[in-house]
Amino acid sequence: MATVYDVVVVGSGASGGTLAAHLARAGAHVAIVEGGPKINTRTDFPTHSMPWEFANRQIPKMKPGKPGMESERARGLGGKTLTWNAVAWRFGQRDFKGKTFDGGGEDWPIDYADLAPYYERIEREIGVCGNYDGLKDLPDGVFLPPAPYKCSDKLIDKGARKLGLKTIHVRKATLTQAKFGRPGCHYCGNCMAGCDVVAKYNSYDVHLLPAMKTGKLEMIPNAVVREVMMGGDGRARGVKFIHRETKAEGEVLGKAVAVCCACVQSVALLQMSAKGGLANSSGQLGKHFIPHFTGGVEAFLDGLVGTPLKDDEGFLDHAYLPSFMHERKRDYVRSFGAQFGYQNRRGIGWARETPGMGAGYKKAVKDQYPAFVVFSPYGEMVPNAKSYIDLDHGKLDQYGLPSARRQVTWMANDWKIFKDMQNWSKEIMLAAGAKIQKVWDEPRTNHELGGARMGKDARTSVVNPYCQTHDVKNLFVLDGSVFPSASEKNPTHTMMALAARTAEHMAARAKKGEL
Amino acid sequence: MAERRDALKIIGSISATCAFPFAADELYAQHEGTHGAVSGQAALPEPAYFSKADFATIAAMAERIIPATDTPGAGAAGVPAYIDFVVGRNPAQQKVFSAGLAWMKKQTKGRAFAELGEKEQLAILEPLCARCDAGPVKGTGERFFRAVKALTSDGYWTSKAGMGETLGFKGNAILGAYPECLHEH
Ligand SMILES: Cc1cc2nc3c(=O)[nH]c(=O)nc-3n(C[C@H](O)[C@H](O)[C@H](O)COP(=O)(O)OP(=O)(O)OC[C@H]3O[C@@H](n4cnc5c(N)ncnc54)[C@H](O)[C@@H]3O)c2cc1C
Ligand code: SF4
Repeated sequence: MATVYDVVVVGSGASGGTLAAHLARAGAHVAIVEGGPKINTRTDFPTHSMPWEFANRQIPKMKPGKPGMESERARGLGGKTLTWNAVAWRFGQRDFKGKTFDGGGEDWPIDYADLAPYYERIEREIGVCGNYDGLKDLPDGVFLPPAPYKCSDKLIDKGARKLGLKTIHVRKATLTQAKFGRPGCHYCGNCMAGCDVVAKYNSYDVHLLPAMKTGKLEMIPNAVVREVMMGGDGRARGVKFIHRETKAEGEVLGKAVAVCCACVQSVALLQMSAKGGLANSSGQLGKHFIPHFTGGVEAFLDGLVGTPLKDDEGFLDHAYLPSFMHERKRDYVRSFGAQFGYQNRRGIGWARETPGMGAGYKKAVKDQYPAFVVFSPYGEMVPNAKSYIDLDHGKLDQYGLPSARRQVTWMANDWKIFKDMQNWSKEIMLAAGAKIQKVWDEPRTNHELGGARMGKDARTSVVNPYCQTHDVKNLFVLDGSVFPSASEKNPTHTMMALAARTAEHMAARAKKGEL
Repeated sequence: MAERRDALKIIGSISATCAFPFAADELYAQHEGTHGAVSGQAALPEPAYFSKADFATIAAMAERIIPATDTPGAGAAGVPAYIDFVVGRNPAQQKVFSAGLAWMKKQTKGRAFAELGEKEQLAILEPLCARCDAGPVKGTGERFFRAVKALTSDGYWTSKAGMGETLGFKGNAILGAYPECLHEH
């Protein structure tokens, strides 16, 4: 007899990793099914590589010969948390009720108060550093000490203050002191290549591995799920997968299924699972795709031009400019915040644009090197009918499955935010005393959100406030896809808090035999 | 072709555009089978794509763009081999380079660019450089210069001589505490 798990979780990133660990700790028998391989986070990442070690000067995602990060359906145990930048905000009440506040987009069916205890639970188990800032729209949590500002942060903060704005210490799921048996960060500055000491959170080392001790969790890597299998009774009964290497097919059976494949891939999996899309009686699956968009201003801070190079890459960005537009007069809805200084020093594509040639050019680049900063505002998109996720049956991936296709059309409101945030970014950098090198002229998509949105009404949403699909009672979707609105804040902490809340709900329902 | 242009811009600047950490090498499409060290070398290696004569021209141009000073120049940093590697894999670049090399032969009236004296070389390159710095360029010579400068820059500043010796980047020091900024900025 094949094992029938209590819950089959597909995807092992921030959402799936959190959900599976919390469920296993609550006593449920859980299988986590991940398309990618098991990655040894201590040895397989090129954290300490330099570009000249490679003929094309590109540091690869994994060390040569090590598998992982091959495709969106096969990243590896840990998903994108292996290479994320760990910025971890709580959303504020305004983020959950954007429509009520300014009329655009959609409200969440839950409030900040519903999620606050779970944000705290996550902070207490993974460790988040930050300062207590007392901001209304960016609630404080339970923090480890923040990382100090960089020289560049001090200059930018001074510029921002001239314009009446204030920066804060970034909040990251990175330990600034040893805790939970993990070391504190040693500021080696290449977090997005993978942290090989796990000072930075990743779901494999921090959530999944410890949960193995419960004896309730089984990890099934290298299993690219192609379908959520349905029974005749209208309930999900497990998943069908293709082995990443052998391409052999297999099944994992469960009493409940949770799809946690990272927004676009979760939507795609539901679309692959039934004609017209599984759990799509509302017709909303794939719609309301609302990725964050980023701008960018690249500049050289005068105060740092020609100064001796300092070993201060830190854990990338150390400061943040919280949204300040909510309370100001503006001709658009929603807002933006800004990360800055998260470029590291291994990339110097900007040197192409430095004028001149010869010894003078060489010196100019050397002088600019310590002073280069990228200022990156993040804007919130409101849903529109021309932005959605669907399948491209004409384009098959390496497993023979249709690719997921993103359609994004920027509307007037998005362009207004984009132009305004680029203007502010320029003004702040100029006020900080900087020479501007480049201003991006188009928005670029970032954190992917929407596509299976959460709501109380089964006619206008795909999942209920517990991330359970309205149509299939034992099918859950957990990740950015369920966000009805995006906020301008990095989303992952909210995904983890939602996963913790759903896990508690599922465990309680399972105890009553209601799942 | 917008993609390819982006791709070229992106090389060596992954982290500057780290909003797209996964885009760079996917776009650039050069990461298969290329894991191998390119060491700095003084003598020109055998080119894989360019003819020996063209390779010598490019090497000489690269050395004028980033000359040896108190630290190595483009040649010793292995930049010519890097340019050979990149252009050999990129048809759009190949067009710019073959047109540019033909243009250069006309300027030198059949003599090899690498054999010209410093003054003569600079007399050709400096005006091109000035026009490239002034704004968008269309001329064959200018486009060629811009391409050589871009790849020289990418190749040099990502080399051990450029990034390590000239810029002083050590990379990945393990620090007990963050070196807090105590300056009066
Ligand atoms: C470089 C980088 C920096 C980032 N920085 C930040 C940051 O600072 N702050 C922040 O909030 N967010 C950041 N993010 C985003 C963050 O990583 C994601 O929001 C988060 O990891 C999403 O969690 P998830 O569980 O939904 O998906 P993921 O973490 O992507 O995990 C999904 C997993 O599902 C697997 N999968 C997909 N499809 C299938 C399938 N069909 N079958 C089986 N398995 C499948 C994938 O292989 C993957 O392992 C960053 C991302 C990157 C790449
Ligand atoms: S800077 Fe800190 S968090 Fe980042 S990779 Fe190094 S040790 Fe890890």
